[in-house]
Amino acid sequence: MADLQRLRDAFRTSLDLPADTPVDELQYQDNAQWDSLAHMSLIAAIEDEFSIMIDTDDVINMSSFQEAVRILGKYGVAFNE
Amino acid sequence: MTLLHPDARVIDAATGATLCRAEVDAAAEFFAAQPPGAVFALTATELPAIARYVAAVETGRPVALLDPDMDRAALGALLDRFAPALVTGVADAPPAGYRAERDVWIREAPAAPVHPDLALLLTTSGSTGNPKLVRLSRSAVLANAESIAQSLSLDADEVAPTTLPLFYSYGMSVLNTHLLRGATLVLERTGILQRDFWTAVREHRCTSLAAVPYQYEMLRRLRFDPAKYPSLRTLTQAGGRLRAELVSEFAAKMAAVGGRMIVMYGQTEAGPRMAALPADRLADKLGSAGRAIPGGSFTIEDDEVVYRGPNVMMGYAESADDLAKGDELGGVLHTEDLGRLDDEGFLFITGRRKRMGKVFGERVNLDDVERHLTGHGAVAAVADGDRIRVFVEGADAAQAQVVRKELASWLHTHFSGLDVRGIEALPLLPNGKIDYRTLEASS
Repeated sequence: MADLQRLRDAFRTSLDLPADTPVDELQYQDNAQWDSLAHMSLIAAIEDEFSIMIDTDDVINMSSFQEAVRILGKYGVAFNE
Repeated sequence: MTLLHPDARVIDAATGATLCRAEVDAAAEFFAAQPPGAVFALTATELPAIARYVAAVETGRPVALLDPDMDRAALGALLDRFAPALVTGVADAPPAGYRAERDVWIREAPAAPVHPDLALLLTTSGSTGNPKLVRLSRSAVLANAESIAQSLSLDADEVAPTTLPLFYSYGMSVLNTHLLRGATLVLERTGILQRDFWTAVREHRCTSLAAVPYQYEMLRRLRFDPAKYPSLRTLTQAGGRLRAELVSEFAAKMAAVGGRMIVMYGQTEAGPRMAALPADRLADKLGSAGRAIPGGSFTIEDDEVVYRGPNVMMGYAESADDLAKGDELGGVLHTEDLGRLDDEGFLFITGRRKRMGKVFGERVNLDDVERHLTGHGAVAAVADGDRIRVFVEGADAAQAQVVRKELASWLHTHFSGLDVRGIEALPLLPNGKIDYRTLEASS
């Protein structure tokens, strides 16, 4: 099981959010920081953090934090709190 | 010649709503009832903004296309400098000197007078310092739209999704060419990294995509496969030099499905397009910016690329008084790019006269970057493709990160476009100046 904190930190770093920002409810279209540039940075950060390669369809489907959790499940990354 | 062909369609992918003539007429009627002067239009990728843009062009009211997300301090500074009659696309309370009427601010005192030929005002580098505005005449805007449409053989069957902001000159030129040819523009706001974008490409049977270098890097990361979108026939590229490897890669992908890749070259100062590299010459002219578009020509003067054509700007505006000025350039643009022409007239760009960099397609003056960072000691900034690299003397990794965040926030860009590193001592030339060549070479 992986620590959800690692995914939260990947989001905060890539989206340039302060360390204690709640990110669990983040949605792509609601967040001005989360633009296409931040998205590329986020994908790279997640790939590095969990040592995986994310497929094209998953890159463009990753439109919220919760969706990221679900997608990472497909790559064998399961989270605990 | 009018900008809006009667058959042109603009459709909002999210709502299905389309631009109708009545909406343009209503905006034109509103403008006609207002005192004279420029309109500063915060231009979102939405139907009302397009209706207002078309209405302004048609009624002869100069329009400045601005980033709808620009902060209010920067907007306030622009209003102080240029004294426009109207500001559109603003939902909040107006600053002193303006009153609000729905989402428009109307200037209470008389606005700065404007030259009768002036149609369009565009910013060159978005966010730093006091941006200059490029003054384009109505005939320059229409001439360029017509030349681009010709060189790309656009017709009424073309369907382009918005991949770039409409206030950015490349995004605007996609809009203009499609309106002019009676083609279709699909308004999509999520961008090429989101599912909704590709759903819109498929649903609306889009035929072309316009992208700048960093978007090609993204498309490559996505392992973009045109075969999945059979309606897609054309990729265009502008907004800076795309590395030859990617040009070849995307050209091959498009050729494999019977489509084409067209590399173009331009500057906002030319409204914006100057050259296009036809798909069938791409392989043997790899690395070229193309040949002058119809009606234009290049010469090389003291290594500098000089362009002549009907689309060249009237000049810059740095203050309200400049809006009343006529044409100052006579159709001749000194691009400040260095280059050469081969015997068939193909242009190759070899460098830049001024110290300019780009961050994700947006021009950044490297001297401005250094000036902004003087509080951090000795710094040097160099261009690195679509990013900029900054060296800070004596900084450790943590300090470099602080500088990186500060610079990203000042430039309104994502920090991944900046590479900031500490260096023990900046290399110097014998004359004591910073040795930028050495810094550029260190990767």
